[in-house]
Amino acid sequence: MVVQIIKHEWRNLTADRTLWWVTFILVVTIGYGVYNGTSWIAFLEESIENALQEEHDRLAKYQLIVANDLPPERRSRSPYSARYMGRNFGVRYAYLPPTPLASLSIGQSDLYASYFKVSTRSTTRQKRHSEHENPNHLLERPFDLAFVTVYLFPLLILALSYNLISSEREQGTMAMVLSQPVSLRKFVVAKVGFRAFITTVLVVGLSFLAFLLNGVNLLDASASKQLLMWIGIVVLYSAFWFSLAMAVNALGQNSATNAIILAGMWLAFVVLVPSAVSLLVRTLYPVSTQVEFIVARREATVDDRDREAQTLSMYFEDHPEFVPEGQEPDFERFDTLQYAAEMEVEQTMRPLLDQYREQLLRQQAQVNRLRFLSPAIVTQEALTEIAGTGLARYNHFLSVAETFHKEWRAYFEPKIFAFYKLTGKDYDEFPRYSYVEEPEGRVVDYVFNSLVGLIVPTLAIFAIGLLKLRRYPLSG
Amino acid sequence: MIRTIAYKEFLEMVRDGRAQWAAGIVIALLLTALAVGWRNYEEINSERQLAQSTVREQWLRQPEQNPHSGVHFSTYAFKPRTFLSSIDPGLAPYVGATVWLEAHLQNQMEARPADDASAVQRFGQMTAAMVLQLLLPLLIILVSFSVFAGEKERGTLRQLISLGVKPSHLAAGKALGVAGALALVLVPAAVIGVLALSLLTDLAAARLDLGRMLLMGGFYLLYLGLFIGLSLAVSAKARSSRLALVGLLGFWVFNGLIAPRVTSDIARTLYPNIPSFEFEGELVKAQNYGLDGTSTYDERRSKREKEVLEQYGVEKTKDLPVNFYGIQLQMNEDFGYLANDKFYGDLYENFRRQNRVRDIGAVFAPLLAIRPLSMALSGTDWYQHQDFAERAEMHRRLTVKIINDDITFNGIVDGVSLSNQYVNGIDIWERVPPFKYQVKPVSWVLGNHRWNLVILLLWFACAGVLLCWATGRMEVE
Repeated sequence: MVVQIIKHEWRNLTADRTLWWVTFILVVTIGYGVYNGTSWIAFLEESIENALQEEHDRLAKYQLIVANDLPPERRSRSPYSARYMGRNFGVRYAYLPPTPLASLSIGQSDLYASYFKVSTRSTTRQKRHSEHENPNHLLERPFDLAFVTVYLFPLLILALSYNLISSEREQGTMAMVLSQPVSLRKFVVAKVGFRAFITTVLVVGLSFLAFLLNGVNLLDASASKQLLMWIGIVVLYSAFWFSLAMAVNALGQNSATNAIILAGMWLAFVVLVPSAVSLLVRTLYPVSTQVEFIVARREATVDDRDREAQTLSMYFEDHPEFVPEGQEPDFERFDTLQYAAEMEVEQTMRPLLDQYREQLLRQQAQVNRLRFLSPAIVTQEALTEIAGTGLARYNHFLSVAETFHKEWRAYFEPKIFAFYKLTGKDYDEFPRYSYVEEPEGRVVDYVFNSLVGLIVPTLAIFAIGLLKLRRYPLSG
Repeated sequence: MIRTIAYKEFLEMVRDGRAQWAAGIVIALLLTALAVGWRNYEEINSERQLAQSTVREQWLRQPEQNPHSGVHFSTYAFKPRTFLSSIDPGLAPYVGATVWLEAHLQNQMEARPADDASAVQRFGQMTAAMVLQLLLPLLIILVSFSVFAGEKERGTLRQLISLGVKPSHLAAGKALGVAGALALVLVPAAVIGVLALSLLTDLAAARLDLGRMLLMGGFYLLYLGLFIGLSLAVSAKARSSRLALVGLLGFWVFNGLIAPRVTSDIARTLYPNIPSFEFEGELVKAQNYGLDGTSTYDERRSKREKEVLEQYGVEKTKDLPVNFYGIQLQMNEDFGYLANDKFYGDLYENFRRQNRVRDIGAVFAPLLAIRPLSMALSGTDWYQHQDFAERAEMHRRLTVKIINDDITFNGIVDGVSLSNQYVNGIDIWERVPPFKYQVKPVSWVLGNHRWNLVILLLWFACAGVLLCWATGRMEVE
């Protein structure tokens, strides 16, 4: 019987041309979404590569001067000076390499800097410029596969299923079907199940194809693991919307009312709840702004007793050409003073910096809890986590960069205070940055929780739907 | 006749349980969004005002020292928010709040509010603008998709036509009915909103924005009006109310979700941005060696020295009646400005081109016409941000100039130049005026978005024409 229902459904779907429309829309949107995500990630990868090339060329240039004992271009900007190299000429980039599936969800990667220079300067003075992105584009967010999955896919599901049962009743075919040896539940479940199966296979298959065409290597263990997690999330998200459509159908309203209720649900889960969650979190767990931080940092600097030395040193550093004859300043002394002064400011600022991070983490923890209010948030955040473009991996990157920063300073600090003169060989020993990926377990755990967060409401709604079907009005 | 039709339509909607619910939710959301927006505006604005006065006080508190050291410490410019940004925060979360006005460097704006927020905010924020741009059109679609199509299905349209009602009257009546029902939602919300705000806010600040507020209201009425026209036209021509609903919802999704993203992507592809490390690297190079990369500091210095010696008619710098170090510093600055102007100018020009692409998208999606207009009147569009950044840069240049002139003309005692050993009195800090941003006049603000305004009006007119056309050719089966 079930086989017959499915056969019948298939004929219905193909004759109706709905399926072709759905396929067409999916092909276009998924193809475009993947293409778009891929081109952004390619831009990031290329930028990182070029930055590293720049770093390599720059260091090689100064190493050549030092190794051959050539005079520096300017005395104050000397490649022999440990301080100057550690702070300016020698600095290396810390970078966050995109994961194999980063193009799946651009996430926050358009907002945060994927690479920045690490120097001996204090944490509070490191500049972390993100890409020059038109703020209009940041506001709109890009059209990536995650967008297609979270926003558009449910709409297609709803278009396919809002009149799943109601139309049978409205056309009068319901009574005929039920005169056969089949229960209403079995009939409905077979119908929903079949449509869900077809659409999900379509969306997963098409995305898969798009990935392959874009050169994602499935033999790569981490890529295939990410892909599996991604499929799991998409399948359950799709199941959620199908069971919701079934439950609304089971209420026994006509097709037009079903459509409006389901459109309202979509609006609530995809637009309203997320913005309400964002609002709630921001109001209940405010994060002190960077404006506050900037003012405090100045406060720490303005009265600093070594500030004069610091600014004087800046003065000399910027304008060595102004140094009057016979008044050769003691560069090293200023350098050391400046370094010490900066460290002192950093000490003052440390508690504020820690507090800021703590607040941000607390806010994110609340988001992690509240996301279960909407499967759309669960899915979006999970896809972003899988793609490695979320806040958590970024924070991990910052901690890797911070470790490197410490290493960098530990190397240069003693040399700065010893007025050490660098040699060509020293250049090879400058600490090197390498990104250490976060433990895989965290993402797996997160995705597992998300899967649970999708299964539970899906099953609950499905159960309610089945219960409601018991009292389904067959006529009228 | 029109009145009768409008009244019937109005009553039907007001009595419809679904519409009541939907309208109730929209009012609640609109009021929540207004309240939150207002609170946000208050918080942010007072924080920035406080910050602006604190950094000023810190600037003045500087001890006697070499004045050039003072401009290295320098000061910050904080971007104020306008009152109307509580309705439409626009780009505010994604642009920097402040910029360091340091000597030698035109810094980038920093402290974007979006950096201090979780990723969930990027689903879109609950703002009054969001309700007006996305939710109200949806409400319009939901209450009007069956206005004609439903009558057709029930067979009442045939009766109506047989009474001799002119199609144009029918169209006008129905549109007025929907508009009336909508007014029932909007007017109380607007009244409550305005009353609450006038109790809570400094009226002087609010009144200043009254003109902008009215203009904004007018633009939104056009936007909502075009949705009424469009929905009714589709309802009149569609074969069934179901098709009308599907078509209109499809347009809503395209307008609100797809078009803004796709136009952004196209803009980015057509006019890619320069990678940030390249921007920084090239800028520093140009600051040191000129835009063509051939000029050197020593060359520029000796050229300037010759000029100054000639000007004062002396042979050696030590005979100059001024401190040559101040002149050198200023020369350095002036040379840097060329590079800054070129690089930032190119960047801004690229953003402008990208925005143009988005504006062209407005032809297909009216959201892209209303959004920039709304942001512009709220003071949160790109061009006003750019203007702020440019004003701040002008203030930086002014500050540096005042300080350098002080070194040049006061850094000399009894004909002996004090060079970089000159230490000024603390009164120099006072001589630099505090930074204050002057909000741009409405004409300038809207002038940047003329195209959007034209397109919005065209959309409105086309929707009206479409409605007349569609009702005139309704097929009554």
